[in-house]
Amino acid sequence: MLIPREFEALLGLQDAMDRTLDTGFFDSATSGRGVHPPVNIFEKDGEIVLVAELPGVKKKDLSIEVKEDTVRLSGERAIAYDKNVNYHRVERNSSKFDRTLKLPINVQTDKVKAEYKDGLLVLFLPRAEKNKPKQITIQ
Amino acid sequence: MSDERKEIAKAENKKPEKTECAGERTIPGKYYIPRTDIAETEKNLVVTMDVPGVRKENLNITLENRNLEVDAKIDFSPYEKLDPVYTEYNVGHYTRSFTVSNTIDTKNIDANLTDGVLTLTLPKAPEALPRKIEIN
Repeated sequence: MLIPREFEALLGLQDAMDRTLDTGFFDSATSGRGVHPPVNIFEKDGEIVLVAELPGVKKKDLSIEVKEDTVRLSGERAIAYDKNVNYHRVERNSSKFDRTLKLPINVQTDKVKAEYKDGLLVLFLPRAEKNKPKQITIQ
Repeated sequence: MSDERKEIAKAENKKPEKTECAGERTIPGKYYIPRTDIAETEKNLVVTMDVPGVRKENLNITLENRNLEVDAKIDFSPYEKLDPVYTEYNVGHYTRSFTVSNTIDTKNIDANLTDGVLTLTLPKAPEALPRKIEIN
């Protein structure tokens, strides 16, 4: 069962505020601090893998920037219908988004890989060389 | 438990991003209801669904006794080697069904999947199209 749209908007606002205020994970992030798209962050062999669901966003409308420990996802999802259309149900919305995430590691920016397939954005963010811990051997 | 881990746990207790499908299933994994737009044009009924992460081959669309059912499965294998550190949404299969009115030309339904968006075009049956009546 879906929540009616009006309530969805209210809950969405509350959720957005909660998400911004309630987590210490992205402390001191930059100004473009939206909450959309939601992301999942994984770790794999010391590399950070960021996954975001962006259905209906065209590759050319998606911009990804990485600097040091900050990742910025911005873009637009545009839904266009012909003019002579009657809507029976509207649950999807077109939206502009701009989200900046601060990661707990510095990223080797020239080795970042991005894949966008089936509406799923996957970013592979390797740890910066100078940020890697040094193994100390005991004499 | 470090502070960072605590924050992660907190984020996981939030209101879910997606609506879970209430029906009971016999296969493992969560099922969600995809967000859907339904629009009617002069000739077609267009159903648009967000199914991010679903590949064409894992999409099953059936029409039986006017019941149009979309069943989209997620391939979880890319996630197997990943260790989650921060999560905001859950990943699961998608399912939704609609009752199609009998004014649809069920033989010519067209389905298209681009960038995680499924578009079903259901043409209206010729007898349901508007007709202009000429006065003799």
